[in-house]
Amino acid sequence: MAELVSLLQNLSNGLLIGGVYAMIGVGLTLIFGVMRTINFAHGDFVVMGMYTAFVFNMILGWDPYFSLLVALPAGFLMGVLLERVVLAPIVDKPHETSLLATLGISLIIGNALLLIFGGESKSVHVDYASMALSLGEVKISVILLIAGGVTALVIGGLYLLLHYTEFGRSIRATAENRLGAELVGINTRRIQGAVFGLGMMLAMTAGVALIPLLFATPTATGPILTLKAFVVIVLGGLGRVGAAVAGGLVLGMVEVMGAAYIASAYRDAYGLLFFLIILLFKPEGLFGRSVKRV
Amino acid sequence: MIRHLIGLLVLLVAGLVYPWIFPSALTVGVTILLFAGWATAWDILGGWAGQVSLGHASFVGIGAYFVAIGATEYALAPWWSILMAIAVAALLSLAWGRLTFKLHGPYFTLSTIAIAEILRLIAINEDWLTGGATGVFIDWMPTPFGIDLFAREAQYYLALVFAVGVMATIIWISRSRFGYQLRAVREDENSAMAAGIDPTRTKLKAFMLSASLTAVGGGIYGMMLSFLEPHILFYLLLSVQIALTGIIGGRGTIWGPLVGAVLLVSAGEIFRTSFAEANLLIYGILILLVILFLPSGIIGEFNRRLTRRLYARRAQG
Amino acid sequence: MPDALKAEGITVRFGGVVAVDNVSLSLQPKGILGLIGPNGAGKTTLFNAVTGFVPMDSGKVRFFDRDVSSEPPYKRAQAGMGRTFQTERPFEELTVLENVLVSAFLKEPRRKDAEKLAMEMLKRVELDDRYDQPAGDLNLARRRRLELAKALAIQPRVLFLDEVMAGLNPPALREMIGLVRRLSQEGLAILMVEHIMEAIIELSDHVIVLASGQKIAEGTPQEVTSNTQVIEAYLGTE
Repeated sequence: MAELVSLLQNLSNGLLIGGVYAMIGVGLTLIFGVMRTINFAHGDFVVMGMYTAFVFNMILGWDPYFSLLVALPAGFLMGVLLERVVLAPIVDKPHETSLLATLGISLIIGNALLLIFGGESKSVHVDYASMALSLGEVKISVILLIAGGVTALVIGGLYLLLHYTEFGRSIRATAENRLGAELVGINTRRIQGAVFGLGMMLAMTAGVALIPLLFATPTATGPILTLKAFVVIVLGGLGRVGAAVAGGLVLGMVEVMGAAYIASAYRDAYGLLFFLIILLFKPEGLFGRSVKRV
Repeated sequence: MIRHLIGLLVLLVAGLVYPWIFPSALTVGVTILLFAGWATAWDILGGWAGQVSLGHASFVGIGAYFVAIGATEYALAPWWSILMAIAVAALLSLAWGRLTFKLHGPYFTLSTIAIAEILRLIAINEDWLTGGATGVFIDWMPTPFGIDLFAREAQYYLALVFAVGVMATIIWISRSRFGYQLRAVREDENSAMAAGIDPTRTKLKAFMLSASLTAVGGGIYGMMLSFLEPHILFYLLLSVQIALTGIIGGRGTIWGPLVGAVLLVSAGEIFRTSFAEANLLIYGILILLVILFLPSGIIGEFNRRLTRRLYARRAQG
Repeated sequence: MPDALKAEGITVRFGGVVAVDNVSLSLQPKGILGLIGPNGAGKTTLFNAVTGFVPMDSGKVRFFDRDVSSEPPYKRAQAGMGRTFQTERPFEELTVLENVLVSAFLKEPRRKDAEKLAMEMLKRVELDDRYDQPAGDLNLARRRRLELAKALAIQPRVLFLDEVMAGLNPPALREMIGLVRRLSQEGLAILMVEHIMEAIIELSDHVIVLASGQKIAEGTPQEVTSNTQVIEAYLGTE
């Protein structure tokens, strides 16, 4: 009985953490799908969301979620700007060039935060941080639940945007075939800028949702989250929004189960190992269709 | 060729004179020499063979840990530990490359990060192997010919030998058959195969050489630190620093990594007071500038122009 | 003396599409075999299957007295298959001489000898005056000749030419035809894929016509050009 309870507890934890990973991954996969750019700064965008919530909480006493009012437009604008200045000029270069460029952005963001806020970890305390819902003997953290809800909202909204608006159709057309999209009159350069903005906005949203839960450390947290986001999108299948959700849930489960039943010290390694295996033996992702590449 | 050998001689002389001119900046000197050696070694794989690795800290860690554990646990002299580290780095990179060389471009790069991260977690968690997260303190070193290997000066000359050795290796490679095989594989694997070159084998050789040389520098670094922590030695940011030093200086060039090392380490020193530990900011800014304005790196761009100018001059004259 | 090249029952599928369907061919030492057909006929796929760059689903390739069917492309190159690429891909950052040097190193491991060989090959294709130019700066006709020099520098026993005539202007085309003929007279066996009928008819002693992946005709240039099926295949698509 106790084993069943702990299994259920682990399952629900894995699911909820997976939901958070999905939210981080979804912006990355959107950017990859449209621009074929591997955005190494994605985790640092998340960290910027965390610091936004931290700053407004510290100065104005805002609830972290309230700071989304600032984080959403700021994220979008910064993303558009970064795309225009750094990524648009190198769009035709080999793919690793954009990886190196975003690595540069990552170093600049992380170290700028370090200069401004110092090296110690930051978090925001909220009253509901320690609250938990009880389902029988299984406890579910309220914050994780809220984060899961935000993920569902964000991904639902993204789905509606991609499938029911003209803008969304242009994004999907560009992702599928950039040249074809240009031929039917879509300004793909503008789409790429908007998508990078959207991706950064999603990352900062995830950061805001995570700050009551996680500590943010300027240069360390970003790369860790970037790595997790990569694992998520490679697990699911690169470039597809729905698959990022599945990938996030799988990673959450793999980590929680591995930590519970194998060895908790290697919690981060399970995801990476799984990531390598997928990359090497099933590069289209767990849920992707097999495509013969020449 | 002659030009490069003269350059190497100049480097050697400058390296020998440096301690007399800047006796108080020996640590900076060691750091420059180590990064020059590492970035040049990294460049064999990352630049000449075109496979960008962000996992080379693993080999630094292996070199450093072999020296440390060898000395503290087995009273082993560092030259023996470094020889063992070379062998282990070569074997590890052989297995690593066999596994991941079917991935291309950014996917290969991501796989190197993942493997290096896993190795870091192993180094942190396996106490019996590395002493675990608390680290290892080197408390004994042999004194060959009465030389104190704990002295910064001795370490400086070791680092100088290391850097000059790696540079000599790359000068030799640049002219050799192997060097042209590397470049062919980087530019186009199909064309390389049409010339009878086995791309995987070529990349494996590059990786093994690159990893072994990096481990040698790691051993010297271990002596310099004398206190080793796994989460720093095996860390992604060290890999990033090594790679960016090579890329900013100029991938696939002889002098680029050295120029990158001099530039980045001294810039780090100059801004140390204003940036404190945020000195990787400079790496971020410089890599963006290089990508946008000098895509082949500082020396790479110089070489490109030089080749064209030489041709133009000969064709007209 | 065995055939220089003998391919039997070559079949290549891409997904559900059969790109090359059970095609056989053979090439005599010193012969020139022409492979023609309309766009999408499977010429280049067949060419790539024979040289090892595209995996075969079935079939056998013999190169002189050696079965190379399961060997990777670089081993076939080492055995003496020298090929060019349709979309010529010089190593752009290397000079013209260095491009050829890469191939020359296959048989001449020492730099001095390899350089000498590479320079000879550049003379053969009349590109030696540009030996120190970055290859990326060459125009189309010169890139073609560089491709040829690279293929020659591995000192091949058979030369495989993939549409080396395509896109050349008339004078450059005449030069290229003359060059290929000279190479043949010097004793090389040649297999050439070509879209341009004129070149094939002038050069080949034996021609194979492909359409939709199948061999529809075979014979001397004269036999093939008078074959109604061939005329139909060409006129039907163009």
